[in-house]
This record gives sequence, C-alpha cells and structure tokens, in this order.
Amino acid sequence: MEFLNDTQIDFMKYRKVCMVVSVVFVLLGIAALFSHQRLNLGIDFAGGTQMTLKFKEDPDVQGLRETLASAGLGDAQIQRFGEEGAHEVIIKTPVIKGSEEGSVDLVTAALDADFGGAADGLDLNRVGSAELAQVLAARDPDGVAGGAVEQEEDRVLVHYQQVADAILEVRREDGLIQDLDQLDRAEGLTEETLTAVRELSSLSDYSVLAVENVGPQIGRELSVRGILAVVLSLIGMLAYIWLRFELRYGVGAVAAVFHDTLVCLGLFALFDFEFNLTTIASFLTLVGYSVNDTVVVFDRVRENLRKNRRQPLVDVLNESLNQTLSRTVLTSGTTLLVVATLLFYGGDVLRGFAFVLTIGIVVGTYSSIYVASPVALLWEQLFGAEARSRRKIARRKAA
Amino acid sequence: MNRSLAWRGAMILVLVAAAAWSAWPLEEKISLGLDLRGGMHLVLAVEVEDALRAETEKAMQRVVDLGLDAGITDLRGERLSDTSFRVSGFAAGEPALIDDDLTAEHGDDWSRVFSGDTLRFEMSAGNADQIRNLSVQQALETIRNRVDAYGVAEPVIQRIGMGENRILVQLPGVEDPERVRELIKSTAFLELRLVAEGFPQGGADTEAAALAVYGGTLPQDTELFEQLVQDETSGALLGRRYYVLEKRQVITGRDVRNARPGAGQFNEPVVLFQLTREGGQRFGEITGANEGRFLAIVLDGHVISAPRINDRITDSGQIEGGFTYQEAEDLSTKLRSGALPAGITYLEERTVGPSLGRDSIDQGLRAGIIGFGLVILTMLVVYKGAGINAILALVLNIIFLFGALAFLRATLTLPGIAGIILTIGMAVDANVLIFERIREELRVGRTVKSAVESGFGKALSSILDANITTLIAALFLFQFGTGPIRGFAVTLIVGIVASVFTAVVVSRWIFDLILSRRQRVEKLSI
Repeated sequence: MEFLNDTQIDFMKYRKVCMVVSVVFVLLGIAALFSHQRLNLGIDFAGGTQMTLKFKEDPDVQGLRETLASAGLGDAQIQRFGEEGAHEVIIKTPVIKGSEEGSVDLVTAALDADFGGAADGLDLNRVGSAELAQVLAARDPDGVAGGAVEQEEDRVLVHYQQVADAILEVRREDGLIQDLDQLDRAEGLTEETLTAVRELSSLSDYSVLAVENVGPQIGRELSVRGILAVVLSLIGMLAYIWLRFELRYGVGAVAAVFHDTLVCLGLFALFDFEFNLTTIASFLTLVGYSVNDTVVVFDRVRENLRKNRRQPLVDVLNESLNQTLSRTVLTSGTTLLVVATLLFYGGDVLRGFAFVLTIGIVVGTYSSIYVASPVALLWEQLFGAEARSRRKIARRKAA
Repeated sequence: MNRSLAWRGAMILVLVAAAAWSAWPLEEKISLGLDLRGGMHLVLAVEVEDALRAETEKAMQRVVDLGLDAGITDLRGERLSDTSFRVSGFAAGEPALIDDDLTAEHGDDWSRVFSGDTLRFEMSAGNADQIRNLSVQQALETIRNRVDAYGVAEPVIQRIGMGENRILVQLPGVEDPERVRELIKSTAFLELRLVAEGFPQGGADTEAAALAVYGGTLPQDTELFEQLVQDETSGALLGRRYYVLEKRQVITGRDVRNARPGAGQFNEPVVLFQLTREGGQRFGEITGANEGRFLAIVLDGHVISAPRINDRITDSGQIEGGFTYQEAEDLSTKLRSGALPAGITYLEERTVGPSLGRDSIDQGLRAGIIGFGLVILTMLVVYKGAGINAILALVLNIIFLFGALAFLRATLTLPGIAGIILTIGMAVDANVLIFERIREELRVGRTVKSAVESGFGKALSSILDANITTLIAALFLFQFGTGPIRGFAVTLIVGIVASVFTAVVVSRWIFDLILSRRQRVEKLSI
C-alpha cells in the first residue's frame, strides 16, 4: 500500500495560523504548570515515603485517611493502584522534617492497629522463609526427625525450608495470603503441616508490596542530576545539529523541542501524573524523538537546496515536507502504536511514561512540520542574506 | 551469488548466532533489576561523626589518666567539638610532666596548645580523615557479615561516591524487609554493667521511682537506663522500666568471641556467648567479687535483662530477654559481626516484593507482544514483500538487543522493558526511511537495482543524523540516571545501535540477495 506519495500540500501557507496555535498551546502548557494544579512531584525529587499496599478487602480510602491521620500522618496522599479488584493502594507521605528515614514504621504501626489481624502467631504475610522454616522445624509436624541425633537437625531444617518456600511462593504470586485455603495450592505440603501452619500462624489483612523512601538529601541530588541530564542532553543535541546544519535549522529544532516539551509538560500536569525519575527519562526520549523527526525533514531540505540553489526557501521547505510526509506519518504511526499499547496494557507504573510519549509523538510530528520549519523560515526572513542586503539598502537610503 | 554477498551473509549469521548464544536461555543470561525480581535497595550513610566523637572522648580520658600517673590530680576534661577537647586544672609547670608522654602517644594525630591552666587539643585533618574512612570500612565489613549470616544470594554491598560515607546495599529476593532493615541498622553495642548497689530486682516503674531508691539523686558513678518491655510474639511495646546501673562496663561486645542462639532453662530461645580470654578473666574477677548482685545486659543503651549473679562466671554466659527464635538468631549474628563503629541512617530505600515485579514483567511482556504484532501488521500492509524484510530486520534487532544486554551484563529493569518496546516502534524508522527513498527513486523511473542502490545511499545521512541525536539524549540519560533509569538508557542505546545496523547492513543484504537471484528485475514488491 502506498499512501501520501507525490503530495503537493502547501504546508507553509498555513504557517501563520499554526504559529498562533502553537504559541497558544505553549502558553496553555505554561499556564497549567503554574496553575493550582502544578506539577505533581514524586518522592524521587520531593523526598518522602511511598508504600504500595494490598488489602484483603477493598480499602475504604476515607477510613484509611482517618487511620493515618490518627498517627499524625494527616498529610498522606492515598491513591488506588493496580487493576480493578486488586485492592491495592499507594500511600505517599511527605518528608518528616529533620529526618532522612521517612515514615515507613509510622504507617505500618498505624495500619497494624486496624488491619493487623490476630496478633498472636506468625504473620504469614510478613514472615521470611528462614524463620518460618525454623518454627516449623521446632514443631516437626511431618515427623522428619527420627532420633535426637545432632546431624538430624540439618536434615529437618532442609525439609522445612522447602516447605516454607512452597508456602511463601503462594505469597510471592498473589501478593497477599487472604485465606489459609490458598495454601492448598502450595506443592508438597502434607495435611499435618497444613494443620500445624493453621495453628501457628495468623494472617494480617494487608501486606506491603513495595516501599520507597527517599530522604531529602537524596531527593535534592536526584533533582540536580535530573536537571543536569536534561540540560546537557539538550545542549549536546543542539551542538550536533549546529555542527551538521546551519544555524537557522538549529533554531527551528530548538523551537520545536521547547514547544513539544512545554505542551507535554502542561498536559502532564493537567492530568495530574506524578513527575518522577521515569518521567525524566520519558521527556528526554521525547526530546530525542522530536529532534529526530525534525532532523529528517531538514536533512531533506539541505539535500534539495544543494540541487537547486535558486529556489526560494519556502518552496524548498514545502517540497521537503511533502517528500518526507509518508515517512513521518509511518514512523510516527508505528511508534505511536507501541507507546499506546504501553499506555493501555503496560500497567500503572509505566502509565505516566507512556502518556508523555503518546502525546509527545503526536505533538512532535506536528511540530516538525509546523514549528521547526516555519521558525527556520522566519529566521531566514529576519536575519538571512536577503534580509541583510535589504537592511543595508534601507540604511544607505536613510543616509 | 557473488563473493561480497556471501561474506556479508556469513558475517550477519555469525553475529546473530553470537547474540543468540549470548542471550540464551533468557532467564539465566539476562539479570533482572530489583524492581522486577523483587528485593531491597538501600543507600545508607555512616554517621562518621559518631566515630570521631568516640575517638575524641577516648583521647581526652587518656590525657586525664596520664596526668594521674604523673601525679597531677584535679584535671577536668571537656569535649569542645567532634574533633577537639580541652583539659584544664594544670598548675604551673605541670604540663611539662606529661609533655613527652603526649608527644609519644599522639604523634601527628593531635596538636595541643597550652594557655592559662588549660591544654587544648585539636585532631589533625589527616587523622580525622583516617578515622572517618576506617569507620566506613568497618561498617561495610560489619554489614557484610550480617548480610552473609542472614543469607541472601548475590548481595551487593559497596561504598559509593568518592571518599564519601555512603554504602549501597542491594539484596535481591528479600522477603522480610523489616527484619533486614533492623538487622543492618542496629549498632549492636553490648555492655554488661552491674546494677547499682541496693537497687531492687526487676527495675522501677518510673524514673522518679528509680531515683527514689537513692533519695532522689543518682549515686556517684551511676547512670539511669531504660528497659523496653515488649510483647513476646508481636513485639508491641507494652511499657518501660527503669534501672540504675554502674557507669563501669564489666564487659562490652568487643570481649565477645562467639555467640549463637540456644535454648534456655525452659527451652525458651536465648543467646549463648563466649568471651575472649582477656574478657573472660575480667568477667570472672568481677562476677566472683559480686555474687548475689544483679548484672544488667544492655544493648544499644537499653536494658535487655538483669539477672542475679549466682556464681563466678568466666568465659561464657547466656542472654535471656524473652526473645523469639528469630530475635535470638539475629542478636547472635549481630554480636558475632561486632558492633557498628558509628550509627547508620537510611538515606534511600526501595523495596519491591516479588508479586509486584511479576505483575510488571507480565504487563511489559503483554504490551511488548501486542506492540510487536501491530508493527508487523503495519509493515506488511504498507510494504508488502519488503515488509517481510523489515520484519526480519526487527526480529534480528531484538535478538541483537538481548544479546548485547547479556554480553554487557546489563540489568533489565521495568523502564528497560519500556525502552525495548519503544525500540520495537522506532527501529522500523530506518527501514521506513530507506523504503520510502527506494519508492521515490522507482517513481522517477529508475531501474529496481539502481533505485535500491540510491535509496540506501541517500537515506543513510538521514538515518545517521536522526539516530545520533537520540543517542546523545540516551547517553546523557545513562550518565546521570540512577538505577532503573539507567536500565532504560541502556536498552535505548543498544536498541538504536542495533536498529541502524539491521537497517543499513541486514536489510541491504536481503535486498541484494533477492536482486542477485535474477538477472533483470522488473518489479520490486515494496
């Protein structure tokens, strides 16, 4: 299937309208950044504690909030997480002043009071396999130990280590053991062991799936590194373009990059995604992609200019944009396909990342046509050779 | 088939085979990041100032002792900062009495200035640096011992940063992070002290009650200590009790030669310890002289228990404290590995449980397969026969990508998976640039052969320019990124290089191969 070949679209005809549209979008993006929404800074940069928890029953967010507030964590943010019915939430608490270590203990203590389940016995949602193995070995429900010989001890422990691993494998899969019946799935468990486990253990109504704590010191460092990464890679890319192309194209590419970044950043803030380390990666990728798209067009412009030096720049731009159009649409298309897949199927953790790239590819494709090229043209009109000679004549006339 | 074609074919085959061999089987060759396999990532800071302060206190005490030896009484020491102190109370001419001793003892480690009745001591910068460095090194060793005793496969424990006090600890597959956090962090400073004479068994309910035993003020050379009473199974804090203990330490953790968990009188978990020869001798003397009194076992400033001394004890003993199995084992580990030379602060922690990591892998795999399918479909619809070429290039690209990841021993993280998926979408770009160029050349009426030739030639500059710009961004990301983000940068970098290679070399070879089969090619499926 061939499409979009031999198109003769006069892209540059609409450049003024599109310039206005672009400027408006950029301003809206900046406005969104500075509106009450702002950027939702994640703990990577702001510091703080983030815990991902899984509950037995669908957690009541309001109730959770009260539980945490009673532990002095009134400023905790609570979000639902994961798939429908997973009963998972993320709890975020800000940095505690003067402390690097965050509030993991405070949150667990507060939750234990309400969701800790029976306090006696080993909590199967928390115990490690080594400890579980020891406790089971002491009880020895399978009767592995024959006599009281010293060497027996090791053999017994090895046996129960396997048993403990089989039990915890259920937890590794499900994230939370809600009911001891789930243990029926565990391989190689005897009826006696199951009975013993039932007697010895208890189940809390929640488990901690992940803990992230970033102290203010590391948060500051990560911010500095993030900013450095962005600024230096921008400088690096522009230096490369400047080396390979003329200044006006460099200016065009810069304008496109700023346009894409600001529009995406604005939308990112508007949709209230969390700005974290992965987001920095997504924005840098977006910048790379935006430049990539622009470079392909400019490469063609350079080639066409070499062929025909007398043609006005507007026409060369139009011709080049038309020639690269099918490529632009196709590459953007395939990349869009994969990032959109990531957006819908990639899970919560990567959603912000996929969002930036999805928006970024659409905006980046637009900008390589309607920001980079018109800006390069404008630069030429204002500061190019023709403009210079015109100004010279005007000056002479005035004199 | 001409020779160049055969050579290129052989080279490609060898590279693909090498990549496949390096990456197969994936489960073994590609190491997963902690965010995918689950585990703990900790960045901790050693509070080196603690070690400096301890050293300063020690030096100060030593100066006072030297004075006593030389017959100078009434010296008072006072610590001024972490690295300086002063000793006052010298009469005229007295400092000269210990001057030689001090010079012999201190060397370049301390400088001293005399004025009025006071000697002021300042630690040299070199000495301070050495103590800092040593305390971080010691902390590292201690933590390594504890982690080894806990038992983790492939732990990473290393100093990070230049001359900094930071230690990175990465422990894959940890299932009880709370326990590990405590195991690593606790200073585990053990002291055995005699309970002050006349103090009742079992401690007092309140601070005031403890002091009331002695009429409201602490007797000379004693200190007040706290005991945290915890529920034996849940560990919940039930209450506090207070003890008055002698300042003198009978035994410290340094005198412990070995420790292991064991069973006590009622088969309850206890910690059994053995002392060094020197420690055992001292312990024997003091316990022998104080039969009937109580001996408090103090860990990190809290009383664990305070049993009665029934008999002279020399080289071994046991600690009872209502432990669980695990607590007894952990305390033994800590006593064996020794006390940390300084406190530890966790600056960063990222712990992921295995279930979350598995979900991430599943989701990434699903998104990757769907994305891959969609891209293949698009290429086939748009480029027909040549689409197969692009797909082959894409498949090789993925093989190269995994081969390079395995070869570089790079760690695959969740953002890394995103990078691979992104690569799948972007990798066809180079092929698209080439194919579009070939189509254009065909349109202006060139023969198939020359269209392919000039299509590749003209697309090359665009391909390089476009990919080098993205590569620059990825390199900076790698340089400044941490953890998972580095994983993303790695897959992006490798993906870019692989995609340029597959498009420029592999695609070209396939075209040439097809064209060489027939003398005259009228039509190209593109």
